[in-house]
Amino acid sequence: MLSVLNRGAAAPGALKPWLLLLPLVLFLCAFFLVPLGQVALMSVTEPEFGLGNYAHLTSDSLYLQVFINTFLTALGVALCCLLLGYPLAYLMAQSSPRVAALLMLLVTMSFWTSFLVRTYAWMVLLGNNGPITAALAFLGWNPPPHLLFTRLSSTLAMVHILIPYMVMSLYSVMKRIDPALLRAAESLGARPWSVFRQVYLPLSAPGMVNGATLVFMICLGFYVTPVLLGSPQEQMVAGLIGTQIEEFLDFGQASAMAMVLLASTMIVLTVYHRRFGLDRLWG
Amino acid sequence: MKLLPKLLGVLVAAFIAAPLFIVVPMSFSTAPSLEFPPPGYWLGYYAAYFTDERWTQPTINSLIIAFGTMALTMLLVTPATFAVVRHRFFGRGLANLMLTMPMAMPHIVLAIGYYSYLGDLRLTQTHLGVIIAHTALSVPVAFLILSANLKGFDRNLERAAMSLGATPLRTFWHVTLPVLRPGFAISALFAFIQSFDETVVAIFISGRESETLPRKMFESIRMQADPVISVVSTLLFAAVALVILAPVVWKAVRKRPNRDCARGGTPAAKDAAPQDVNPCAPSRVQLEA
Repeated sequence: MLSVLNRGAAAPGALKPWLLLLPLVLFLCAFFLVPLGQVALMSVTEPEFGLGNYAHLTSDSLYLQVFINTFLTALGVALCCLLLGYPLAYLMAQSSPRVAALLMLLVTMSFWTSFLVRTYAWMVLLGNNGPITAALAFLGWNPPPHLLFTRLSSTLAMVHILIPYMVMSLYSVMKRIDPALLRAAESLGARPWSVFRQVYLPLSAPGMVNGATLVFMICLGFYVTPVLLGSPQEQMVAGLIGTQIEEFLDFGQASAMAMVLLASTMIVLTVYHRRFGLDRLWG
Repeated sequence: MKLLPKLLGVLVAAFIAAPLFIVVPMSFSTAPSLEFPPPGYWLGYYAAYFTDERWTQPTINSLIIAFGTMALTMLLVTPATFAVVRHRFFGRGLANLMLTMPMAMPHIVLAIGYYSYLGDLRLTQTHLGVIIAHTALSVPVAFLILSANLKGFDRNLERAAMSLGATPLRTFWHVTLPVLRPGFAISALFAFIQSFDETVVAIFISGRESETLPRKMFESIRMQADPVISVVSTLLFAAVALVILAPVVWKAVRKRPNRDCARGGTPAAKDAAPQDVNPCAPSRVQLEA
């Protein structure tokens, strides 16, 4: 007892940070870790104790299909974001500061606009009475295709929603590329295309990896847009988890799927962390 | 630079811009369902938004919850940030991890957890329940912004105050806090936005009693019934545009006299330039989708 007091008196500095941290740590334990633990617990106890829910996940081909579908969608969205985001980030990096700032303003504006607003906007654009359907009909596609509630509509909206993450990651790397390196390559006789492929592209690769990882990870757990715009026959994991809670109150199965989703996200993060360090991702 | 990549870049910019701006004419449309271009224009749905309790109540709920989240987040995060940034202690890495972890969680996973856990505590469908869940989700953003600001703080200022006889509390109140005010303000703003925007957890736990605006919007889009959604979308987009454009305009307005000043031969008043605040610098990296 005395020694504890003495130590406390000798090193008051060691206690102080924990006192400052205590309220937040207690709060996060009670309202973050415990609810998360409850999901893990429910996955093995609802409706009965055991790994039944996980066994069900592997035996029912529906679940496997949904996981594959989610994975492929996330991969596709990440790829589209990269292919579309690259030219824009390149344009920003090569333009005058004024133009770059203007484009950045646009990207930022999109970034901060609610997912719901952007999802709704795509509903207008792709709807049966929308401009895109009208344009297709005008071009002679008759009757025009049904665009809403398909894989196409949800993918397009997700690409639009997540592309700011990609552009920001790419741009932050590209604007640090030293133009002298490109001039050096040119002066050594490289053609514009080889300068880009052999110098610029490798130098911008960290931005590509950052952006793609972010987009992929967010997309894996995407709920709002696939539920609102996607095809009901081709749900993604998060949507199926929601359905299981809202319609069937099947907490066990939903929790098991949530745990698999969580594990997949953690694996992506860990792989990224091992190779590049997480600090860079949160930028 | 060749033309083709440039053109591609411009096209992508148009791809980003078009959906953002299309909601604006939609909000003035007379059409009761999705139709573009609108058959006619009026302000009827604006009137509907501001008078219909089914829309005003969620808006009020969202504001209450966002302010509550902001206050609770700052109250918890401020001391914790000081501890992590200023002290070297056993378990610091763990604390750091714990404070940023909610950021890496898919929100649907937490939504199930809160649905059952806060349900057991009888906190679902209450403002307090949603505030608690949103605070846990806002902690990482607030912490990252505040710690970035605190790291850049010159502690000699505090030492000077203390050496002049100020107590630690007085030093904090009169020196530390004023210097860090922009950091606190941005941190709090992000916590507010995080809560005001949060959709997935709110869908599952806010219920009818404390329904938030994003939940109402989600239900309304799902039912495809209510054209008021375009009004809400336009207002939200306008708010974002305003918040982002205001500092830019302000900067441009304030820069001009400075430049004249420099031209006139007096040294440019660098201190007068507002702090360069990039609204997207601490990126809102969250798996909130």
